[in-house]
Amino acid sequence: MEKVKKKVGLYGFTGCNGDQLVIIHSEDRLLEFWNSADIQSFSLAKSDNTESELDIAVIEGSISNQEQAEHIKAIRERSKMLIAIGNCACYGGIQAMELGAATWDQRFRQVYGNKTLDVRTPVESKPIDLFVHVDFYLPGCPIDAGQFFYCFGQLLQDNKPVMPDHPVCAECRWRENECLLLKGKMCIGPLTAAGCGAVCPSNNLPCMGCFGPVSEANVASEFSLLKEKGFSRESIKNRIRLHFGSGVMEPLKKILGEL
Amino acid sequence: MREILVEPLARVEGEGGITIRAEGNRVKEVRFDILEGTRLVETLVEGKTPEEDVSITCRICAICTLSHRYAALRGLEKALGIEVPEKVYWTRSLMHLGEMLESHSLHVFLLALPDYVGYPSAIAMLDKYSDEVVKALSLKKYANHIMEVTSGRMIHGENPTVGGFGAYPDENVLKNIAQQAQEMMPVAELAVDLLSGLDVPDFFEMDTVYMCCEPGNDTFGIVGDQIRISTGEVVDAADYKNLTNERVVPHSAAKHCLYRDKPYSVGALARINNLGERLTGRAGELYKKLWNKRWQRNPIFNNHAQAIEMVWALEQVPVIVENILKHKDPAIVFPSQKDGEGVGAVEAPRGTLYHYYKMKDGLVDKANLIIPTGQSLEDVERYMRKAVETMLDREAADDDIRLQAEMIARSYDPCISCSTHMVQLKRDS
Repeated sequence: MEKVKKKVGLYGFTGCNGDQLVIIHSEDRLLEFWNSADIQSFSLAKSDNTESELDIAVIEGSISNQEQAEHIKAIRERSKMLIAIGNCACYGGIQAMELGAATWDQRFRQVYGNKTLDVRTPVESKPIDLFVHVDFYLPGCPIDAGQFFYCFGQLLQDNKPVMPDHPVCAECRWRENECLLLKGKMCIGPLTAAGCGAVCPSNNLPCMGCFGPVSEANVASEFSLLKEKGFSRESIKNRIRLHFGSGVMEPLKKILGEL
Repeated sequence: MREILVEPLARVEGEGGITIRAEGNRVKEVRFDILEGTRLVETLVEGKTPEEDVSITCRICAICTLSHRYAALRGLEKALGIEVPEKVYWTRSLMHLGEMLESHSLHVFLLALPDYVGYPSAIAMLDKYSDEVVKALSLKKYANHIMEVTSGRMIHGENPTVGGFGAYPDENVLKNIAQQAQEMMPVAELAVDLLSGLDVPDFFEMDTVYMCCEPGNDTFGIVGDQIRISTGEVVDAADYKNLTNERVVPHSAAKHCLYRDKPYSVGALARINNLGERLTGRAGELYKKLWNKRWQRNPIFNNHAQAIEMVWALEQVPVIVENILKHKDPAIVFPSQKDGEGVGAVEAPRGTLYHYYKMKDGLVDKANLIIPTGQSLEDVERYMRKAVETMLDREAADDDIRLQAEMIARSYDPCISCSTHMVQLKRDS
């Protein structure tokens, strides 16, 4: 008897579509992916989309207007499982960067002037778990194709995927790179989750943090190290905020108070 | 009131829709809605280092990630007084071609073509067109490989940086890329064949203005510090504000661009219409065979123009690889000044992209980004409107009108993530 395929929907909220594109860019594996599940909705790739009950909803992008907030709640209600892919869905993405001084309202007026918005009601960008329960997170900007297909395959078989919980420095050492911190570069690898294969340090460039924060990052130690190397508090703060999304300032404030 | 809605518009990058309102046979409104959420990117980069700026702005869009990065680098380097060595220029040219091939093959084969053969997606075409789909995927894979090799990763690679590259691609890898370009040529030609065999409807044809970068030296190309306009004018890219006049239009609510109060189009069709006569080789032959005056009046030919550009890009790859290999890997060039202004213009796959920067004490003080989709938006709506008017007169069914409007919007290969600051605004009463 043929096994019933799981019903899957892929949705893009605010972001660059890069995570769905990682899937489309997988070429040969794209066809396997398409056949492995019953793809009900994937509007980047097809136009015959059905909004039905789902086994797995795959969400890319952050929530940046009230209509999206309602849409994601509706998707959650009809889905047994909901997973967040990419930094925008997991952490809010660059658009949720905590900038400190200028509030979101001020910045909004800077770009749009004093206009009232119609059709969509914009709000400051937030990760999706501030609106719905998320069963599984796959960060990265963009996500890594290998990690995605591994996780998706496990979830199709009702297994919980195992994700790395170490910083990208481990991958960097496996690639036998010389540590850029020792060379005086502002590398935030020690704070950043593994998954990309340490691609930037392997190209002699410091880690910008695009896989988001690792769970047990020693922010205080990285902060003092970078200060010792001669970087200003402001420049270190800017770098940490760049890709870590919303919620990063609370722990930072605490550490900055202690330092 | 008859209302035809398309939401979301599928098989385009980002969240968009089309609204058509008519009373009897009279069109009340035709809108291309940009529903994507706002990100306020221009405010995110203020106070950031140049490297942080490119790390943010490339993420505006995953399809044009390298065009954004390239435009940012060109703008920032002008502002910081950086002149990059030849090897940097050629390696950037290769990455730029890789992105054009990736984006065009994705659009022509996977996003646009399904409409013409009556399928909801390229994957659904597999049963009847498996050869074509598999070949299309092979070209896209090749293009992705170029992007990965040059930028460090298929999407949002950080390797192209201010003043140069973190690391340069391996010689053998580059030689392979040059060799494979020939093997890929039949796929690009297949795109040309498939498209030139289709009937292109003519009932919404009308004149418009086309704009693209002027590459100089009477060549076809996709970067330049000047802009060529189909009116015959050539204007400095630094004058981008007067070229684009990005502004809020009260009736339609999205930020539109106008040149001398007239709508204009950017993208592959603009480049082929403005510069096509300069094409040589196989691309030149195809241009002479296929191009005619209808291309200046019908946006559907953007698909055909993209196919010719794929042939051009594949002919360019070996030449560029040869130029890269002539030079030793240079060190990264550092800024010669901390304050300054600069405009970087490049041709993204879907049209001219401008990044303006004002630098203060080595950090971004102000940024202004003008993206291609916004520039063509007025024309997208104008052509859709003309199509809808004619179809209403001919008493066409809603589904046919919807599909035709979608095909016009899709032919522009719109990139909605890029268009973050085009949003619906309430009418001021």
